[in-house]
Amino acid sequence: MTDTVLRVENLRKEFGGLVAADDATFGVERGTITALIGPNGAGKSTIFNLVSGFYEPDAGRVEVDGVDVTGLEPYEVADHGLIRTFQTPRKLEGMTVREAMLVGPQDQPGESFLRLFTAPGAVAAAEERNLADAERMLERFEIDHLATQPATDISGGQTKLVELARAMLAEPEILLLDEPAAGVNPTLRNELVAQIRRLNEAGTTCLLIEHDMEFVMELADPVVVLDRGSVLTQGPPETVQGDDRVIEAYLGGGA
Amino acid sequence: MVDIDVDAGPLGEMTATEQGVTAVVVAFGAVLLFGLLSGRLAPTYFLFLVGLAGMYALLSLGLNSQWGFTGLINFSVAAFFGIGAYGAALTTASSSPVAGGFNPAYGLVVALVAATVLALFIGLPTLRLRADYLAIASLGLAEVVRRVVLNERRWTNGNLGVRGIPGFFDGWPVLSTFPEAIPGLRIAVPLGATVELGEPFYRMLLNVLLVTVFVVGSYLLLSRVHRSPWGRVLRTIRADEDLARALGKNTYRFKLQAFVLGSLVMALAGVFYAHLNLFVSPATLEPITTFYVWVAVILGGTGSTRGAVFGGVVVVVLREGTRGLAGLEGIPLDAPSLRLVLIGLLIVLLMRFRPQGVLPPQRELIWPDVVDEAPDRPETGVREARGDGDD
Repeated sequence: MTDTVLRVENLRKEFGGLVAADDATFGVERGTITALIGPNGAGKSTIFNLVSGFYEPDAGRVEVDGVDVTGLEPYEVADHGLIRTFQTPRKLEGMTVREAMLVGPQDQPGESFLRLFTAPGAVAAAEERNLADAERMLERFEIDHLATQPATDISGGQTKLVELARAMLAEPEILLLDEPAAGVNPTLRNELVAQIRRLNEAGTTCLLIEHDMEFVMELADPVVVLDRGSVLTQGPPETVQGDDRVIEAYLGGGA
Repeated sequence: MVDIDVDAGPLGEMTATEQGVTAVVVAFGAVLLFGLLSGRLAPTYFLFLVGLAGMYALLSLGLNSQWGFTGLINFSVAAFFGIGAYGAALTTASSSPVAGGFNPAYGLVVALVAATVLALFIGLPTLRLRADYLAIASLGLAEVVRRVVLNERRWTNGNLGVRGIPGFFDGWPVLSTFPEAIPGLRIAVPLGATVELGEPFYRMLLNVLLVTVFVVGSYLLLSRVHRSPWGRVLRTIRADEDLARALGKNTYRFKLQAFVLGSLVMALAGVFYAHLNLFVSPATLEPITTFYVWVAVILGGTGSTRGAVFGGVVVVVLREGTRGLAGLEGIPLDAPSLRLVLIGLLIVLLMRFRPQGVLPPQRELIWPDVVDEAPDRPETGVREARGDGDD
């Protein structure tokens, strides 16, 4: 029996005359690290934006955990358990790392203006719990020494780790990672591989876009290959790697 | 560029900037005291200036919760100030063309409701869009409100303005009769002529009391919400709205709340102004107010609550201080022009040498009880020597 966390069916998006996503269909099974690869302009980022609610699809359907989330706002999609990260994370100016982490947890009572005054006790309790969670999470990612550093003072790779850790505080059903290894030095890159594998072993399903093929082959199974907005093929990394159509798409041979 | 000094608690040492600001404030206070003692500064006028400073502090606090906390660009500060002033004036004044003569407490309520309606009117359609649209729409809104007030004579008296506004405490028990009941004082000041403290002085004292209540109340409220999960979402929106959306925050709702909150604080300034000046006219809505308040917020340090208060006070000092300067020999400019030159110069110097403002926010903003009660956390520095590869 298969258990599909994310189901994308015939997803379509056009920008003017350009078809960025063309009847894309694929699924992400629970417990996998699925990679979405493809040459530049294949529609990977468009699919991410469509799935996470940042773009509204022209046609098609997106399901998270069996619930139709097509056309919902990003925050509603997040409520259904899909959390995404960004390719170039922007730093939260004026916050420390642990403050930036505290944006992650969902449904905080202190995020309601009224409850700040009607239920200060509940707000303080939740804040204390979240802070403890955040610090535990930073420890697990082995970046707890950064907790009180300004979020603007850490390196790009560390920012990616913080982003990953923060996304985990939202307790996602499925985590969408947009180029987690881009612009990260080799040491931190290996660290990221280890962390993503650890998260996956602990039960988090991941869907990631990545250009670094080594990174993909090391982590992902299965791999979904996109070309010109639709799914070209999918399967285990070794099979995909040897597929002639995939090589052709990447080398830009074309028909 | 922004220093975040985590270790400095309320009892921690002040930073160099804070020491500098404190020194300047103390020195300025000494100058004012000398002015009062030497009889060069009339006590009633001094209290009037304090009232103005409080009013600008309120306006800056309001704009700071929109722009400083949330990154919302509001160019219609004057409109929210004006709607507060007109709301109070039209409800309470004897010459009100609609329904005057009510107790000023009702005026306050009417002003706040009117400001909320105006904020929703402009915020509901534009806050769904990119940040620029609120800026553009609010630029127009200020002028629309001013024109409506100018032309809808049957509602607003047009350019005649609204006269006969009572003091805020008129009709209150005790406080309404306080200025007349208190005996006048004649004080022989050490360095000059005798100063008389009569009824006008006590009236002004009541005004200062009112603005102090408004400022302190707004300050406490805003510092509290700034240092809360709610405020944290606002700051996330300011830095990166898409990030906040991806993390499951309904940013539209947060932006709307912050916008209304800021507008209400601005309207409070308007209510105070109506009862301070006892007369409002369309000139109250001049766009220059918006400009001054932006200067105040940027000068104080965008996003900093105490910075907003500081900036508001500095703007009043510059505005009113230049009145005296223009009378001096050798300055070929009249007061209003000189004022603008000085403020322009100030902005240039500020942007060149301290673009983050004088008192930028510099502390970690986590719900107060939580951080104070968790002293067992490993502090920074413990593992500072640790390198990235050192696992």
